[in-house]
Amino acid sequence: MTRSFAGFEVEEVHGTPLLWRRDQRCKTFRISLLLQRPMGAGQAARALLPLLLQHGSEQHQGRPALARARERLFGAGGGTGCGRHGESTVLSFAADAVAGEFLPQRPDQFTAVRDLLQELLLRPRFRDARAGAELFARERSQALAAARAVWDDKAHYARQRAVAAACAGEPYGVPDHGGEAAIAALLPHQPAAMLDDALHDGRRLLLMSGVLPDDPAAAIAPLLAALPRGSAASNGAAPVPPMAPAARPVGRTVEYAPMQQAKLVLVFRMPRPVAPGALHALQIALSLWGGGAHSRLFQEVRERRSLCYYAAAGGDADKGLCMVQVGCDAEQVEAVTAATLEQLAAVAGGDCSDAELATAVATCQGPFRSLDDSPAGRLAYTAEQWLRGFDETPAQRVAGLGAVARDAVTAAAASIALDHEYRLLPAPTAAAEAQR
Amino acid sequence: MTQQRIVDPVVGEEVVRAVTGTGLRVRVLPRPQLREVAAVITFGYGSTDLAFASDDGAVVTTPAGTAHYLEHKLFEDEELAVFQRFAARGASVNAQTGFTRTTYHFHASGEWQQNLQDLLRLCARPHITPQNVQKERGIIAQEVRMYEDSPAHGAAFLLLGALYAEHPVRHTVGGTVASIDAITAPLLLQCWHAFYRTGNAALAVAGPVDVDAVLELAEGCALPAGAAPARATPADFAGVHRERAERTMAVARPKVLLGLKERREAVGYRARAERAAATGVVLDRLFAPSSDLREALHRRGAVDDSLGASYTGERTFGVAMVGCDADDAVAAAAALRELLFADVAFDDEQLERLRRRQFGHLVRIGESARALAHGHALEELDGARPFEGLEVLRALTVADVVRRRDELLRADNLCIATTHRRA
Repeated sequence: MTRSFAGFEVEEVHGTPLLWRRDQRCKTFRISLLLQRPMGAGQAARALLPLLLQHGSEQHQGRPALARARERLFGAGGGTGCGRHGESTVLSFAADAVAGEFLPQRPDQFTAVRDLLQELLLRPRFRDARAGAELFARERSQALAAARAVWDDKAHYARQRAVAAACAGEPYGVPDHGGEAAIAALLPHQPAAMLDDALHDGRRLLLMSGVLPDDPAAAIAPLLAALPRGSAASNGAAPVPPMAPAARPVGRTVEYAPMQQAKLVLVFRMPRPVAPGALHALQIALSLWGGGAHSRLFQEVRERRSLCYYAAAGGDADKGLCMVQVGCDAEQVEAVTAATLEQLAAVAGGDCSDAELATAVATCQGPFRSLDDSPAGRLAYTAEQWLRGFDETPAQRVAGLGAVARDAVTAAAASIALDHEYRLLPAPTAAAEAQR
Repeated sequence: MTQQRIVDPVVGEEVVRAVTGTGLRVRVLPRPQLREVAAVITFGYGSTDLAFASDDGAVVTTPAGTAHYLEHKLFEDEELAVFQRFAARGASVNAQTGFTRTTYHFHASGEWQQNLQDLLRLCARPHITPQNVQKERGIIAQEVRMYEDSPAHGAAFLLLGALYAEHPVRHTVGGTVASIDAITAPLLLQCWHAFYRTGNAALAVAGPVDVDAVLELAEGCALPAGAAPARATPADFAGVHRERAERTMAVARPKVLLGLKERREAVGYRARAERAAATGVVLDRLFAPSSDLREALHRRGAVDDSLGASYTGERTFGVAMVGCDADDAVAAAAALRELLFADVAFDDEQLERLRRRQFGHLVRIGESARALAHGHALEELDGARPFEGLEVLRALTVADVVRRRDELLRADNLCIATTHRRA
């Protein structure tokens, strides 16, 4: 008997949970394999995998050959990602394509795309003894350049520095790329070792959605049968909860860069929601405070006081952290900081009208109402639910958001506390370059 | 109102094309299987429309950034901030200003009729006062500064400024802090009266909508009838203004950007689409991930994955751009230049792959109300028939591609812009 999770059918195929959802409204399908491991040592090696896996497989040797193979499959997409969920790393191996019935001669796109994904995952070219060394050297160099280039996007740089400062000593503080020093110190065998580690010991999940074969489990079984067997202890085990520091004085970091506009990043801590209801209340509180053009923050600092072009609050509920980011004149940083905290206090104190609250709820519900239109979006939502351990369909999320009481929203806002204030300020060139 | 029903040749779905009594062109893409409705109204007014003829024939000149400023100001009316009205219905509304168009759009999963009515109203009933124009100046100045801090944005306009001596494409879309200082409420209203007209706009609505209801709301749109005024855009099809442009900035690595300038006007959608399709094949052959030539540049260390190529082609200007970050900008520029002018062969196998990729892309677009509405609105404004772009791609031959390569990829069309790392 199959069961369901977040609106997907659940089966176990060769030891891997398979979540699938057929949607005949679609014209495409998507396959995604996720491997979750605790964050920490090895981040730089894991982050290099998406770059190395671009170079094809034994059968499609090199990036041009792989790209041409995808073009022949009517622009099949896909790729490898290295993301985070709370304080874990999630490697994703995805493939998507137009279903055969919408194409001339009705080719068997599913089998072709599945086999391509399997080939890339299990016989990647970067493992080849001869080609591997050159590819490693090239991609490590590129990864290092890309990590340094974060400096060119000052908002991104400020965000990265703010998280590093606020989360010093926590795995979350390490940048997605692993850090320049870790990239520079990488050894050629490490990315393959991290791929093996994830394949053998990672918490696995395979998701499929869209136009699927009659028997989805049988259709994907060859791929799952070919994967190395993980240990029973690791597969399906919930990850360790992320670190959360005890209450402490607000930290402050000020840095300088040669630029015109100051970047302010305020890092807040908040309780990590352990049940859907808590997540809903937190989502509405963040929306009301700084979650878009309707929010208190946007209306106050941009629309009423013309202090900035953008000002937004965004949260990572699975870490228990949220950030407010603003670009403004350096002399307005104090005023923006004060206004941000005032607006949070107002929401926490219940100082918001019923109309404001209703708007925040509607804004939160909007994306979930139409999520089923997007196979990729629906699949990503379900993956997030699985990783979080919540079992809600988008329709249940809409209903849950609609059922949140005002008190729960104000309580959620009251639980958000400033932890670190990061300022990147315009400075004369020489000082900023010397700092860098 | 005139109406025409057309069947999508890719997936067999319907497109309704209509023109309202006041001349607003409309496309409706009824997709009952979708849950989201997306609507896009786009105007033929962008950052390059800096000078135009007024009703009395005199030429009106405006500061850089005027179209973008006007876009900002339309998001405000007497009763309420427009963003909040849409947000209260769970809808998302926004706008963008480009070189030749300003586009307003929303997407939502409910109350689409009210949202569409409000979208049409915000374009058709400006509430522009000296006070609210002054209030917006600080916000736009921050947006301008944000872009001025972006090395990639700066590099693109360094190149455009070197390619074009006269054409206003050389100015940033948002203008500068100095140029927006000269923008006033009467000027914005004058520009609105000139360009926000039914004959200079196109509307597309996609999703689970009733065609007749959409057309009825479009018919009620209060935009004034008429065409856009004559633009007084300088013809700038001579050779490049400067062959090289350089600047320094606090960047992690130098940036090099090569641009190839169009030397002739492209009148009509078909001419622009054919030019763009053939240029796309040329750039793909040289610089796409599927190109062995690009891979060879990588292997010898001349470029890295920051390499990108693009093409923008409008009636009065056009440019193909190729660029990357590089520790040795001189060597990277030389390698890219060498490849641009290499004797490269094109073949039917490449064309067939690209046609397949494009076919897949068009099927995918059919899954997204937003992609459908954006694509069809822009196509309609540009004067294209539905799916004419697919016809252009199908008709493209290797000979067309070679001719295009020979026309555009010439040394006298080339400029190299370099952003050096500040020492």
